[in-house]
Amino acid sequence: MKHFWFCLLMFFSISAFALTEEITLSHANVNIHDTASIKRGAKYFATICIACHTLIYMRYDPIAIEAGITYEKMPINITKWPNNVKPPDLSLETEVHSPDWVYTYLHSFYVDKSTATGFNNLIFPDTAMPDMLASFQGTQTLAGDIIQSEGSYGHTLEWYDVVELQQQGSKTPDEFDQMTLDIVNFLNYAAEPFAVKQEQLGWWVLGYLLILLVLVVLMKRAYWKGERA
Amino acid sequence: MKLPLVLTKRGWKVLDLNWLYARYPVREFMQRHMTGYYAPRNFNFWYFFGSLSLLALLNQIITGIWLTMEYTPTGTEAFASIQHIMRDVRYGWLLRFMHTTGASLFFVVVYLHMYRGLIYGSYRAPRELLWLIGMAIYLTLLLEAFTGYVLPWGQMSFWGASVITSFASAIPWVGKYLVIWLRGDFNVSGVTLHRFFALHVALVPLILLGFVFLHLVALHYVGSNNPTGIDTKHDKPTAETIPFHPYYTVKDLIGVVVFLLVFSTIIFFAPKMGGFFLENNNFIPANPMQTPEHIAPVWYMTPFYAILRAVPNKFLGLITMASAIGLMFILPWLDRSKVRSIRYKGYLSKIAITIFVICFTGLGYLGIQSVSPLRTTLAEIFSVGYFAFFLLMPFYTRYEKTTEPPEFFT
Repeated sequence: MKHFWFCLLMFFSISAFALTEEITLSHANVNIHDTASIKRGAKYFATICIACHTLIYMRYDPIAIEAGITYEKMPINITKWPNNVKPPDLSLETEVHSPDWVYTYLHSFYVDKSTATGFNNLIFPDTAMPDMLASFQGTQTLAGDIIQSEGSYGHTLEWYDVVELQQQGSKTPDEFDQMTLDIVNFLNYAAEPFAVKQEQLGWWVLGYLLILLVLVVLMKRAYWKGERA
Repeated sequence: MKLPLVLTKRGWKVLDLNWLYARYPVREFMQRHMTGYYAPRNFNFWYFFGSLSLLALLNQIITGIWLTMEYTPTGTEAFASIQHIMRDVRYGWLLRFMHTTGASLFFVVVYLHMYRGLIYGSYRAPRELLWLIGMAIYLTLLLEAFTGYVLPWGQMSFWGASVITSFASAIPWVGKYLVIWLRGDFNVSGVTLHRFFALHVALVPLILLGFVFLHLVALHYVGSNNPTGIDTKHDKPTAETIPFHPYYTVKDLIGVVVFLLVFSTIIFFAPKMGGFFLENNNFIPANPMQTPEHIAPVWYMTPFYAILRAVPNKFLGLITMASAIGLMFILPWLDRSKVRSIRYKGYLSKIAITIFVICFTGLGYLGIQSVSPLRTTLAEIFSVGYFAFFLLMPFYTRYEKTTEPPEFFT
């Protein structure tokens, strides 16, 4: 029994410790109906991400094709990659991780001279990906301590609590938030291109079933009328 | 009964169903199994889960057939063919989500159906064989679920198949040959995938349908138990019973629609169920060179997986896990109570079943989580609780004070 209580104590103390260390994923306000944002994201993909990443299952998708994400432009035949790390296909990236993860990942690069790319990432340490968005976001460095920004007291630790912007890029932080959200919206669409149809059909099906439920309840009552049960 | 249906040279003719009735026992079948099959009047909501299991089975078969039309069971194309179904096939995503959600909900209703049998003593004489056939269905269903889970050929498919087939290697002497025989290769590979496809779409469903048929035949021979656990007649009308059709068919329809509401909510609004029905790692194509950090089976297998992991020795763990399932088979002979239903059993039985539910769900939770010293200790405690429920049953059911069930109910 002593062992049990000890384990219980250890369990909670470890989890409390972990909380102070781990970066909480920032919430990406994904909207499957925001076609404009999805299309902007597709454009970003066609100009930036496609240099290294394929989007193989989107090769017949009208939005992707319109933005210029075509099979011919995807890096299909490249065999030699820096450090032999092949960049993953991103068709299902938001399913593998989550939209929040991708959103936070794109925000949380910082300068780290010890790595091959010169950058590191808060939620994916030693990632092989260089900070492709640095020219937009600017460069960030580790603050070394938790930054007490306005309103940060009491909330969980997010990426902006531990890095500081050294030099702003071509976009303001707000513009950069929107840019990354566009990319996440597009990747979310790439993972589930059927999402809008799924939601629409869902409401119809539920509505139909609710009406059917009333009817079958009435039918049951009619049949069982006068029967004890 | 006459229906104007048949077109002959002289125009429409009335189809005489008596022609059919003289050649096939349609009416006798309906009489014997529907309108003249009497079920107890006092079924509560627990009795929905039998017909719902049939519905879930039907859904799996129909959506499965359509998925088979577009799925490619080879190591190089399986993953891509699923994405082809999800994107290029009209309503392919719907068929697939119906199949993946259906698989999980099949287990939900089967577990609830089994729990119903457990609390009302539906496994007691003369329904031992009915219970045994039900257990055979459950085992076959586990096999069907496992072979099906390999087919998307994602990381969890591959590594899950690797882990589960490697169980066989723990068997002394023949283990290492058995593993190769199961996989058809030295490692899980496209060969394994292809044979699991054959098992999943042909052999196992046939066995499953066979057992389901036997289950229904056995049920209609001995008749349904009921929440009071007292005997009723199923072959002639009494005050306690009511014809299955139309009374229970219309009542079961309510269960069907409520089930479909839950089912549709998941399919259309949360098909991944936060990683419980579709795991995140399975959206990465199978990669034998990269082991995922955390491998866990789908939720319906996790109680047994947790029992396996709770035992330090692999072979003993395997035996423990097998006996955890095996004990469920001999349940009819472990219960020595004078009464069938939990309603009239004593405190010990009620406490035991509460402990059992806590242990089983606890093990299910732990089987999903990664291993830690505390979780292993908890899994050991829950495993002991699980086994104690079965192994002590002959004693606590026999010596506890039971109450007298009513002579009859209305």
